[in-house]
Amino acid sequence: MTVTVEQRSQARTGEPAVQLSGVTKTFGHGPDAVTALRGVDLTVRPGEFVCLLGASGCGKSTLLNLVAGLDQPTAGEVGLNTSRPSFMFQEPALLPWLDAGRNVELPLQLNGVGRSARREQAKELLELVRLDGQSRKRPHELSGGMRQRVALARALAATTPPDAADPNGTATSGLLLMDEPFAALDAITRDVLQGELLRVWQATGTTVLFVTHDVREALRLAQRVVLLSSRPGTVVNEWDVEHAASELHNLYDEITASLREVITRHAA
Amino acid sequence: MPHDLTRVGAERGEPEAGSVNTAGSLNNAVPVDDSAAALAGLDALDTPTVVQVPWWRRALRAGLPPLVAVLLFLAVWQALWASAIVSEIKIPAPITVWDSFAQILGSGEVWSVLWTSISRAFVGFLVAVALATPLGLLVARVQVVRSAIGPLLQGLQSLPSVAWVPAAVLWFGLTDATIYFVVLLGSIPSIANGLVAGIDQIPPILPRVGQVLGARGWTSARHILLPAALPGYLAGCKQGWAFSWRSLMAAEIIAAGPLLGVGLGALLKRGSDLNDMPTVIAAIFLILIVGIGIELLIFRPVERRVLRARGLALSS
Repeated sequence: MTVTVEQRSQARTGEPAVQLSGVTKTFGHGPDAVTALRGVDLTVRPGEFVCLLGASGCGKSTLLNLVAGLDQPTAGEVGLNTSRPSFMFQEPALLPWLDAGRNVELPLQLNGVGRSARREQAKELLELVRLDGQSRKRPHELSGGMRQRVALARALAATTPPDAADPNGTATSGLLLMDEPFAALDAITRDVLQGELLRVWQATGTTVLFVTHDVREALRLAQRVVLLSSRPGTVVNEWDVEHAASELHNLYDEITASLREVITRHAA
Repeated sequence: MPHDLTRVGAERGEPEAGSVNTAGSLNNAVPVDDSAAALAGLDALDTPTVVQVPWWRRALRAGLPPLVAVLLFLAVWQALWASAIVSEIKIPAPITVWDSFAQILGSGEVWSVLWTSISRAFVGFLVAVALATPLGLLVARVQVVRSAIGPLLQGLQSLPSVAWVPAAVLWFGLTDATIYFVVLLGSIPSIANGLVAGIDQIPPILPRVGQVLGARGWTSARHILLPAALPGYLAGCKQGWAFSWRSLMAAEIIAAGPLLGVGLGALLKRGSDLNDMPTVIAAIFLILIVGIGIELLIFRPVERRVLRARGLALSS
């Protein structure tokens, strides 16, 4: 185990997958301007699983949009060293007129992957999320948890570079941006899907940036938890969960207390 | 709570550097079998169940009520005629109308009449679709165009297209151009408005998904926007067909001349001019039958297929 840990740490000392330095985002102009993010510094290593934790208004979604390149920062820089990042939302947001397989194929099709190749890849991805044989089902024929797994497979398809066959990962890894993807699911399904996500993450080596406001979810999933303050969002603190396995419930109490503190500041 | 967290620590196994893509080494890290079974059980419990109804029962459920309604209508009609409250000229017996109907069908003239009207309606409708689709896209996607002609397009939909006939006759004379002009003005607003409504009702998450997946511009329109707007567009087309058929009849009844072939509307007009009530009623039935027939044979199946594929029409 120690050996593997060292290997991973070494792998991560390379170039960061995501690097945000001094990122500020302001919406609007003049007196009505709202600063969503201020001076955010964040580094995510390749293959790392990082949870962004924060209450409402901490600019989590803004931050993901900036990383995804859907929006430009007002100041600061966003650097990516991954293949095209892909998004997963709170809703599965599957296209209702396509079956599960075609939904997974769509990003590959948009990236110009040939028909048989993308069909094969979609089949593998559906197997990865344990939906073998469900590829002909339409979204409305699937349960909420199954839909969210199709969405996960689609997100993986979107971030997998065309030449991802290289198992050593010398090519750039994928980046998965997840915006509270399990928040709309019932507790049992959420619990199972969290385990599934961990399994898939370990199997694929994808870098994950996961937004949540659930401390327990963050602790269960992440190697590192980053706490954001609200209005404007800034990085308040961060915890290395991976190397603190023995004192997880102390960590839970500590992080919860910090989160409370951040929220309490807005009481006045 | 503490229980949860200790379990968490144990489960969050250390990802191994060499474990990429190999199920074998995964088994060491996570209790795969257990979670796979849990997932399978969850899927089985949560998957929506579909109740299968036998085809004959579905057919009975769909066919019986309209059949009963038609029979009731005929019975009332027959009773009304038998009571002789209204003169025979105004309300002929159903059997007389049937004879007249059979005669029209048997004479062979009816096929050319039907063909004249249906081909006009179809050509008009197809041209309307070709014009209304880009128009609808423009109104839906370009804000200036929407502000400029959106309300007008809405208003045109409530303007009875028969109001265009006198103007069209003055502009184009008693020619086919008059007929097509009226048909187009009748159906274009419906189709364009249907497309606009279809695009407006797309859940905002879908275009965003398209953007995230790498669809831009035309690719986004082709893969996301147009398929997402299809149900609204189809509803617009269906209504557009109804308006096109209606406008055509209005035009054919009012505008009659030697240059124009005899369509169903002209047949109706002729029956009225000759005080031939059975022909009038037979012509009305023919118009109704064509309208309903096209709807049932073409639009209903297409619409049902599209909606069912999206889980929007599970009943019947």
